[in-house]
Amino acid sequence: MTETTETFTYDYPAIEAIVTRHEAKGRAGLLPCLQEIQAFTGWLTPDICQLVGRRLDVPLADIYGVIDFYTLLYREPVGKTIIRVCDDMACYLNGSEEVLSSFKKWLGIGPGETTPDGKYTLEVHPCLGYCDLAPMAMMGDDVHGHLTPDKVADLLEVK
Amino acid sequence: MVPRTNILGKRVGKIDPGSLPAYVASGGFLALRKALTLQPEEIVHEIMAAHLIGRGGAAFSAGFKWAAVRRETARPKYVVCNADESEPGTFKDRYLLEGDPFRIVEAMAISAYAVGANRGFLYVRGEYPLAYKRLAHAVAESRRAGYLGLNLWNTEFCFDIEIYRGAGAYVCGEETALFESIEGRRGQPRLKPPFPTTNGLFGQPTLINNVETLANVPDIVLNGGQWYRTLGPLTNPGPKLYAVSGHVRKPGVYEATMDLTLQELIYELAGGIPGGRRVQAVLVGGAAGTFLRPDQLDVALGFDTLRTIGATLGSGAVMVLDDSVDLWNVLRRVTRFFQHESCGKCFPCQLGTQRQAEIVTRLAAGNVHPGDGAALTDIGLTMRDASICGLGQMASSALLSAFSQFSLLPREDEL
Ligand SMILES: Cc1cc2nc3c(=O)[nH]c(=O)nc-3n(C[C@H](O)[C@H](O)[C@H](O)COP(=O)(O)O)c2cc1C
Ligand code: SF4
Ligand code: FES
Repeated sequence: MTETTETFTYDYPAIEAIVTRHEAKGRAGLLPCLQEIQAFTGWLTPDICQLVGRRLDVPLADIYGVIDFYTLLYREPVGKTIIRVCDDMACYLNGSEEVLSSFKKWLGIGPGETTPDGKYTLEVHPCLGYCDLAPMAMMGDDVHGHLTPDKVADLLEVK
Repeated sequence: MVPRTNILGKRVGKIDPGSLPAYVASGGFLALRKALTLQPEEIVHEIMAAHLIGRGGAAFSAGFKWAAVRRETARPKYVVCNADESEPGTFKDRYLLEGDPFRIVEAMAISAYAVGANRGFLYVRGEYPLAYKRLAHAVAESRRAGYLGLNLWNTEFCFDIEIYRGAGAYVCGEETALFESIEGRRGQPRLKPPFPTTNGLFGQPTLINNVETLANVPDIVLNGGQWYRTLGPLTNPGPKLYAVSGHVRKPGVYEATMDLTLQELIYELAGGIPGGRRVQAVLVGGAAGTFLRPDQLDVALGFDTLRTIGATLGSGAVMVLDDSVDLWNVLRRVTRFFQHESCGKCFPCQLGTQRQAEIVTRLAAGNVHPGDGAALTDIGLTMRDASICGLGQMASSALLSAFSQFSLLPREDEL
């Protein structure tokens, strides 16, 4: 590839390698390719989308359409760790409102926002599938159950 | 006597889910090995004889589906395991995926042999990172040890599995939306027919089954369909996983045959209601399910028994609400859920879920207008009759059942 218009600020070879691994599958490689890249970069920048589109032969508009459809894919910068607080029925019945308030309080941000230091993004989610642990939240890939305001403070190391 | 069984969950929490030797030592891969000595038709016949009913929510006969894909002459064919579990209140597939991942690999291989497929796809919910890790490990280990790959046990049969991770969309659990997602598109359901059995993944004949449905397969192959039919009621045989949450002392997954009553599940298995409170309502089947009243707890949790009282078993989720709960706060979450998850492809659902959520949010704030009940009923029935997929068709189910079971709205003449 000779085009060098991309202005990557992250590990370009690593991303290239991911794209190369999924290239042969064409469009069926799109979701895993975007997921793997995002695991590296946190979010999908316009240059990543262009690169993936060109190599997997998917129109750029379709790539944006796909990213916007799925809540776990991001087209805007997000914090290093995404905190997903479940506020669906089983968690609500067990006190999710208090848990969410304490996340907001300690982080100083609301749902959909990122802390100024770029450490955390806070999100409110429908049922995450861990209702036996209600009320619960995920921090990145880690599941934290039976949460209380105190436990939230411990998790965020604010006390 | 509570009709508990220990078939689907027999390894969960007992053996190391990361160990192939432990799986094999506990009888793993015996069923696949036996299957490969049988004719594919014989396996389909056993699944049919077992009267295995799909556990993903739609309650469709597994044998019927297997036979349909078996009959197709187009090649290639695919098998897909639906592990996208995202119905609110449902976590029974996660219990199997995390606790006994090799069983799913084995079951997929058996299903592929039976219908004549050589490639399998496993689509696991994006918010299940541990399940994904264990499945990926199970697939890699099975491949390394020759339980997946070319010419298994020196037969003609070749089979391998690719894992896809969901990316956060409830609707991708709908089978055709799931195919779209694997194909690299927005997960929007297709119009049916054609059905997956003829035009599924990549347009090819496809067998798609839920995780729990597949988990039943190895034991049916080993012990026969007749054995399976002796477990529990004749019309709804076999073990079932129930995911219990909400106001119970011991939330979790419980396995029993489908003559288990709601009373037994809540009070004998899940430990009853904490804090000396009483049951106000039980939501069976998740957000797409129906509310039951405390005087209906003697109902058996089977597909047909629930239908006789106007409810559905759905995914097997059971959420218990005690008498302290403001039902409006729960209904607000149900309707907000569908508003958020509607894929927007068809108008009844796209608009209906929004209007429904708006009205319910206003009602929950105590602001009742004349005609609200009629409007919600009208929206609900329109979605049920005119939506493309099950999401829109079921989006008003819980709400309308709450209205008919409890007196939530003031009488019109009192407004
Ligand atoms: C909106 C919607 C979501 C669904 N989600 C799931 C799911 O998470 N898991 C699942 O197995 N089936 C789900 N289904 C049902 C599938 O479309 C399909 O019927 C099922 O995977 C077939 O498997 P079974 O016959 O073994 O039950 C969903 C259906 C709809 C309409
Ligand atoms: S019913 Fe709803 S989720 Fe299903 S296709 Fe229509 S808009 Fe999409
Ligand atoms: S309701 Fe919170 S995990 Fe299911």
